[in-house]
Amino acid sequence: MPSYADVDRQIEQLSECKPLSEIEVKNLCEQARAILVEEWNVQPVKCPVTVCGDIHGQFHDLIELFRIGGKAPDTNYLFMGDYVDRGYYSVETVSLLVALKVRYRDRITILRGNHESRQITQVYGFYDECLRKYGNANVWKYFTDLFDYLPLTALIEREIFCLHGGLSPSLDTLDHIRALDRIQEVPHEGPMCDLLWSDPDDRCGWGISPRGAGYTFGQDIAEQFNHTNGLNLVARAHQLVMEGYNWCQDKNVVTVFSAPNYCYRCGNMAAIMEIDETMRRSFLQFEPAPRQSEPDVTRKTPDYFL
Amino acid sequence: MEPLSASVDDDFGVERSTIGTSLLSLEDPIMEEGEESASTSSGEPSAFAPESIPPRPFREPASSKYSPLPWQGHFDGEHDILIQSTGEVFHVYVAGSQGPVVVCLHGGGYSGLSFALVAGKMKERVRVVAIDMRGHGQSRSNNDHDLSAETLSSDVLNVLKTMYGENPPAFILIGHSMGGAIAVRVAAERVLPTLAGIVVVDVVEGTAMASLIHMQKILSSRQMHFQSPEQAIMWTVKGGGALRNIDSARISVPSTLKFDEQRQCYVWRTPLQDSEAYWRGWYEGLSDVFLSCPVAKLLLLAGTDRLDRSLTIGQMQGKFQMIVVRHSGHAIQEDEPEEFANVVLNFIARNRIGTYGLEIPGVRRPIQLRSSN
Repeated sequence: MPSYADVDRQIEQLSECKPLSEIEVKNLCEQARAILVEEWNVQPVKCPVTVCGDIHGQFHDLIELFRIGGKAPDTNYLFMGDYVDRGYYSVETVSLLVALKVRYRDRITILRGNHESRQITQVYGFYDECLRKYGNANVWKYFTDLFDYLPLTALIEREIFCLHGGLSPSLDTLDHIRALDRIQEVPHEGPMCDLLWSDPDDRCGWGISPRGAGYTFGQDIAEQFNHTNGLNLVARAHQLVMEGYNWCQDKNVVTVFSAPNYCYRCGNMAAIMEIDETMRRSFLQFEPAPRQSEPDVTRKTPDYFL
Repeated sequence: MEPLSASVDDDFGVERSTIGTSLLSLEDPIMEEGEESASTSSGEPSAFAPESIPPRPFREPASSKYSPLPWQGHFDGEHDILIQSTGEVFHVYVAGSQGPVVVCLHGGGYSGLSFALVAGKMKERVRVVAIDMRGHGQSRSNNDHDLSAETLSSDVLNVLKTMYGENPPAFILIGHSMGGAIAVRVAAERVLPTLAGIVVVDVVEGTAMASLIHMQKILSSRQMHFQSPEQAIMWTVKGGGALRNIDSARISVPSTLKFDEQRQCYVWRTPLQDSEAYWRGWYEGLSDVFLSCPVAKLLLLAGTDRLDRSLTIGQMQGKFQMIVVRHSGHAIQEDEPEEFANVVLNFIARNRIGTYGLEIPGVRRPIQLRSSN
């Protein structure tokens, strides 16, 4: 049994929003990979558990989330992806979640979101943040290599199916998902891409997603998927919802979004979904954590406009 | 209409004649070097003898490096579109012979030739129409100074109606900057029944409105007079930095100039500083109107930080596609034409926009088009 002294100290340091050293990140990612490679594409999870949506580098709001929902490992957590990009503390956020995973592997589950990808992180901030905080891209490489091992979906007590985006027309059963080879960069299209990119929609059937990846799926699709697989709910993240959570498709699907005032400008609430020992669901909403110093969100005005 | 276009040709006749010489001068030095090395004689030549001097690397003279280039080869042709009701003439460049029609609207101060390189790369699969907007390029209107959003939008509708009549093909509207605002307004009017998609290039209400107060200063810091089109091209690429791709600047910049007979120099064709009254009208409410457009939407940006609140929420709710093109300046279509063309073609293919609209019926939002058969 390895000693947890190191990772305990790292969790403490990260909880104060102080990033680890490059070599610590390297070791941490190696330990995490050894754990994640053993997990399934449809990772089984027991109740009670608290289900969380997008975090997007909003570290102080993640700490607020733990304050509202209870500290790990006293509370079990299931995070549905999108830990990095957009917010100013992607490094600290993903480091803390991975450290918690290494320390309490059975008490915390971290799934893959569409932002846990090499390509997306190079555009939306995580890559640049790593360069800024470490002076090179090694930490970005350690994390994005690790992201390939994150499970794609989770199944709470065979009843609630959790994933980042939504359903795929190529995957009508959980067994089809179990058969995917997930250890790779998120592809531009295909079933694995769909799981991380799709959205529910008011219209029936499958639609072309306006996002440029994945599909939209109607209530008929969600009902059929839940029925076929003996589920009673699809829980997912991926979309900003102003109240932090949103039921849709006659309660076949729920969206949970856990980044309050997303991008420091959207004015939305955040929420988490608690599943208790009897599988009862309840939602906890929360607002942005008070910050001692707001990050500078004034953007450079472009020197053009015509 | 006839005399007008003739006078424009006169303005540009000077530049066009320089093109041939610059191409010729490229080849001369190379020929000479080959001949010299073949005729080297025996003996102990001095290290400084002519035959010992290594060939100097060829360097393009500055004048030809910035000389204007023709649009031919990228666009297939140009037309003057006469609007019967007003007598106004809009100049358009066209390319391609099949597929849906991609209508390109340039930004303030640019011209239809801003899309030349992109047109050349897309014309195998779509038809491209790039309009010189009112007060720009070779278009001639009754009031070149009226650049209001309403007038520019109705110009676009008039041109498309004149070109395609009552039975139009599927349209994709692409607008850059000011043109992006106009593309969104045209789409929001919902009078083009065959409009299937819009692409807005590097303009967002929040950041555009925030930068309005700086614009007069930026405009007045522009160089205003040029001895030659070459000089304007060089200034645009090096001095002003408005364009980063010299190959595109050599095609597009000459069309944004006119010759001032009094001062005997080239000046900007469009007096942008006089259009301030219209700036707010272009951008106010743009984000919400964009989100409400009932067609497939793509936002192409040169930087992630350019989203305002409405669009950040909209993007995070999956209401449109957004692509950030790295290493590009404001005019993405000119700076990164290859990537631009690929992104637009993928957008068209992904949304299954064919010659007459959505190609597969029943895949939702069936735009009520006449089918091709």
